[in-house]
Amino acid sequence: MTSNTIKFVHENRIVEIKNPEPNETLLNYIRIKLKKTGTKEGCAEGGCGACTVVLGELKNKNINYSAVNSCIMFLPTLQGKQLILVEDLIYKNGSLHPVQQAMVNYHSSQCGFCTPGFVMSLFSMFKNHSRFKDSIIRDSISGNLCRCTGYQPIIKAAKSLNNKNKIDHFNKNKKNIINMLEKINNQSIVIYKKDKKYFAPRYVQELKKILKKNIDSHLLSGGTDLSLKVTKERNDMNSIIYMNSINELNYIRNNNGYIEVGATTPLIKFENYIKKYYIDFANILKRYGSVQIRNVGTIAGNIATASPIGDTLPILLSLDAKVVLRSIKKTKIISLEDFFIDYRKTKLKKGQFIDSIRIPLFPKNIFKAYKISKRFDDDISSVCASFNLELKNKIIKSIKVAYGGMASIPKRAKFCEKILLNSSITEKTIIEAKEALEKDFKPISDMRASGKYRIMVAKNLLHKCFLEIEQKKLIRIDN
Amino acid sequence: MGKEIFIQEKRPHESGVKHVSGYAYYTDDIFEPEGTLYGAIGWAKKSHAIIKKINLENVIKSEGVIAVVTSKDIPGRNDVGPVYDGDPIFPKKKVEYFGQPLFAVAAKTTELARKAVLKAKISYKTLKPIVEIKDALKKKSFVLKGQIIKKGDPAKKIHEAANSLKGNFTTGSQEHFALEGQVAFVIPEEDSDFKVYSSTQHPGETQQIIAKMLNQKSNTITVIVRRIGGGFGGKETQSFIFASICTLLAKKTKLPVKLRMDRDDDIIITGKRHDFYSEYEVGYDELGVIEGLKIKLSARCGFSPDLSGAINSRALLHVDNAYYLPNVSIENYLCKTNTSSSTAFRGFGGNQGMMVIENIIDNIARSLNKDPSEIRRRNFYQKEKKNITHYGMKIEDNIIHELFDKLIKSSNYKSRQLDVKKFNLNNKYLKKGIAITPVKFGISFTTWHLNQAGALVHIYSNDGSVHVNTGAIEMGQGTYTKIAQLAANELGLPFSKIKVTATRTDKVPNTSASAASSTTDLNGAAAINAIYRIKQNLASFVKRKYGIKSGEAIYENGLVKFKGKSFRFNSLIKEAYLNRVSLSSSGFYTTPKIHFNKKTFLGRPFLYFCYGAAVSEVLIDTLTGENKILRADILHDAGRAINTAIELGQIEGGFVQGAGWLTMEEVNWKSNGQLTTHSPSTYKIPAVNDMPKKFNVEIYKYGKNKENVVNKSKTTGEPPLMNAMSVFFAIKDAIASVANYNTIPTINAPATPEKILMSIKKLKQKL
Repeated sequence: MTSNTIKFVHENRIVEIKNPEPNETLLNYIRIKLKKTGTKEGCAEGGCGACTVVLGELKNKNINYSAVNSCIMFLPTLQGKQLILVEDLIYKNGSLHPVQQAMVNYHSSQCGFCTPGFVMSLFSMFKNHSRFKDSIIRDSISGNLCRCTGYQPIIKAAKSLNNKNKIDHFNKNKKNIINMLEKINNQSIVIYKKDKKYFAPRYVQELKKILKKNIDSHLLSGGTDLSLKVTKERNDMNSIIYMNSINELNYIRNNNGYIEVGATTPLIKFENYIKKYYIDFANILKRYGSVQIRNVGTIAGNIATASPIGDTLPILLSLDAKVVLRSIKKTKIISLEDFFIDYRKTKLKKGQFIDSIRIPLFPKNIFKAYKISKRFDDDISSVCASFNLELKNKIIKSIKVAYGGMASIPKRAKFCEKILLNSSITEKTIIEAKEALEKDFKPISDMRASGKYRIMVAKNLLHKCFLEIEQKKLIRIDN
Repeated sequence: MGKEIFIQEKRPHESGVKHVSGYAYYTDDIFEPEGTLYGAIGWAKKSHAIIKKINLENVIKSEGVIAVVTSKDIPGRNDVGPVYDGDPIFPKKKVEYFGQPLFAVAAKTTELARKAVLKAKISYKTLKPIVEIKDALKKKSFVLKGQIIKKGDPAKKIHEAANSLKGNFTTGSQEHFALEGQVAFVIPEEDSDFKVYSSTQHPGETQQIIAKMLNQKSNTITVIVRRIGGGFGGKETQSFIFASICTLLAKKTKLPVKLRMDRDDDIIITGKRHDFYSEYEVGYDELGVIEGLKIKLSARCGFSPDLSGAINSRALLHVDNAYYLPNVSIENYLCKTNTSSSTAFRGFGGNQGMMVIENIIDNIARSLNKDPSEIRRRNFYQKEKKNITHYGMKIEDNIIHELFDKLIKSSNYKSRQLDVKKFNLNNKYLKKGIAITPVKFGISFTTWHLNQAGALVHIYSNDGSVHVNTGAIEMGQGTYTKIAQLAANELGLPFSKIKVTATRTDKVPNTSASAASSTTDLNGAAAINAIYRIKQNLASFVKRKYGIKSGEAIYENGLVKFKGKSFRFNSLIKEAYLNRVSLSSSGFYTTPKIHFNKKTFLGRPFLYFCYGAAVSEVLIDTLTGENKILRADILHDAGRAINTAIELGQIEGGFVQGAGWLTMEEVNWKSNGQLTTHSPSTYKIPAVNDMPKKFNVEIYKYGKNKENVVNKSKTTGEPPLMNAMSVFFAIKDAIASVANYNTIPTINAPATPEKILMSIKKLKQKL
């Protein structure tokens, strides 16, 4: 069933919008159309969290709550979801939600402008976790910037929620909401509005048909990068195909020897899964972006964006990942290494889409990854390094080294690998391997770091990797 | 006057409930009348150029555009400079920085307006820009003539001293990044009057600047500010251009116009903190006591003077921090560069001056292989002697010794210092560092006449509720809460009976900016003065009617107690009204004692000093330069704090903001003057994990202002930011460990991972 009317749940009822504007952000809809001004615009690029709202989604007869940045979400992607705003947290009798009350009690607001965003991030934490450990609290608000408080009173407020009754009016009303979500959760969206088109297919078959007829479309996944075309570059996106309604592509499988991740799987789900195989991968994902970003962003999106500083890319390169590309008729599996052509250019052709990523498992190997940035959380790396090697009797039997931030694309360090392969780990080998990095990379200087620093750190990270192997412990400041 | 009752309570922010529920209205949230238009600004893509032609044909034709304004639409003064001219709203001939506004549009939506401004065709003749301080010094490019001050004979003393050191040091710029960006909303009214809602720290000057721009009288412009979503100095003058342009658009279209800046445009257009470059030469004895000091202090001021004069002056007034400097000379250069005009930012030059001396003292200690905390203490101002500053002010309220010693004890500084050294012996790649730094910060505007404030207080006859207005801007520092507390205390009423409402130029005129940490000191005192005048009306009425001799009364617990007769507050108010007694009054306050001769650089510029100290412990990775604050202990003087919760919030928040300035926040320009750090993706303010892992913050419990300031309190606005100096010097300490503490490391602020790694590299090369 297709429709040009999106339906979502807000304030305990189903809201229908016929033919919504495909380029309108959810934030503008909330502030301008709904005239709910509690949700703020701080940056319009998903970098400050002031616009955070919570979306409820149906998952196995339950509701999954996720905090998202409404400034970089397009209104039609609200289809089938429950929208929760800061104003909606207040009880009918006017009393505050426990999260809100805690923020008042612990003096967690000063100028108050970032506060609604923090409330919503903590609200989603409140709904998704049963205990609020320090690490969970910090992760939940790492995408919310506050310039006044220094965060201490916000953390205290969040901690105090451990002693609060977890039942709120959303629990009491859950059945009702689930019923409504079930009712609206069964349509694909097709919108033609003036010169703009928007499609949200629910099946791969549908996607193929749409792609065939609308070959120039932007494939929108989490949109945490793509949406900036509208909010920052002020361009229109005339044809959008929204991928994340395709449930078929939202999966993680262990296929004997490799992990397969469907294209629409959100990063947050993937990081929980990959933890047990590659802990450094999961740790870097936590720093890749805030919860709001990881709730919607996908690995496929990161790969298609092909940014030289996309954090998952050097990791996937060193793990020898494959990309499964599909088009209307064919399926093609190519090595990720061959996928990147030049700065933000890939082999993804018009009419093709990323179906999934295959990440090989190397149970015998040592895998390490590092991210260097000015700020620990939610920053873009100046250098990202990833090492995957097999050691046998102190000889390096296989090795893949990849770096981000060192070239116009994320890239393997082949000269460096050549020195290391079949060598034993000695000081001399490491010195030579470090020098070889100068042949592999000629990094640029920009606001994040100078080229000089980048090459120096790239070398030192290689050094660090072998130090950690030798000393059998991690040498890291965040340990 | 009745007996003095001091307040000391922990009360939530008066808007706390509204903040958390989304019902606190900021400028962008105000209900818009039908027909409201939305603005956007077109700005220059050159940092130094002659404007050849501005072609706006395609802008005007762009979808939804209703009007365009350029310099030609300005009937009066085309300038928003607060003290001096030099900040054109739209320059006519010459572009002086990348991002300088050239024109603006009003359109049917913000999105359409922002799209339209991109369609301008502007041709320039490019000139060579000056971007860096050193380049400006070489070319003698200055916005104002800098001062040269001298006390004693530093050259001679340095020459004669047992030891001397020479060096240079830089502190970086900083973007304010208030979460609410620049925004104005203007409604045209009858008689060509305008109602201006602006996110500003300075409604008074906004009003004057708009009036001058329009060639209208000030009484035709009303500026209203209920609250702003953070200021930090970034809305002291930098808000003016947006309010002005928005008014211009409203005038042209005769419709309400809102101008809300996109974050990138906001950061590109507005000025930031001054970065400072200093050269120094210091002479000191075997114990590390400074005998003579020469400093050359240069600031990147950007393309116009703005507040650079006052900011540099405060830097000069704070190069002593808490240290006695018997012989000192300072040369100051206010460099003109083709960058946005550097402006006020929490600390206002004071912190930049203090970093200079802290770095010198740190180097002295390292040159003598002594614990820097000892050298710091040894150089402190003393109480009976060595208590005159280099600008001739006698320090009468010095508590730095007690406070510093207390913190050394409570933070276990000494034993932790040993632990740090032990850790460093056992770890080759990760290194720890620890440092304690003091703060002494002078309170008052250094421009004498700004130290005044007004207030307006009404008591309503039917229910005795109280309405307070002042010139204070609520920007998160809690001034409305504190002023309401003061009013409640003064009237013996519960807090709930007091309402402080939006600050408006038609209620309280001629206001000073909410700045210089003085907002509550000044405006709270003015509110108390207004209440005092109403109390006088009541007293003379009671005297007259009941024949009570003394007019003195105690206002307590809803009662007004005269000698021999007590009234319920509400009954007295009602009765006074029926007897035709005025229950409303303005109030006024001026700061006593202060005077300062700017020419001789002598006087008493400050009413009092705030003191604080902090110990920070950090961990650095010598392979990558990554760093982390493991623990911070702060002890800060808030006098007799009016609201301990609010002051604590200021102290913690100031520290984290200061740590951002000194570690990760890096403003970056290309050599052509183009700013490259203008969004949260390129400019990083501290996030939650940058807060110290252990964070012990305490208000100095013996604090009491010696001067007659409301509640005997001391402000906590700017001073706590400087407690973060300890973070920088802890990082330096960790770097020094790489060379076994035998060589002085060189590192400039901000100590980014890159700067740390390069400093380590340099140090290793010296080994």
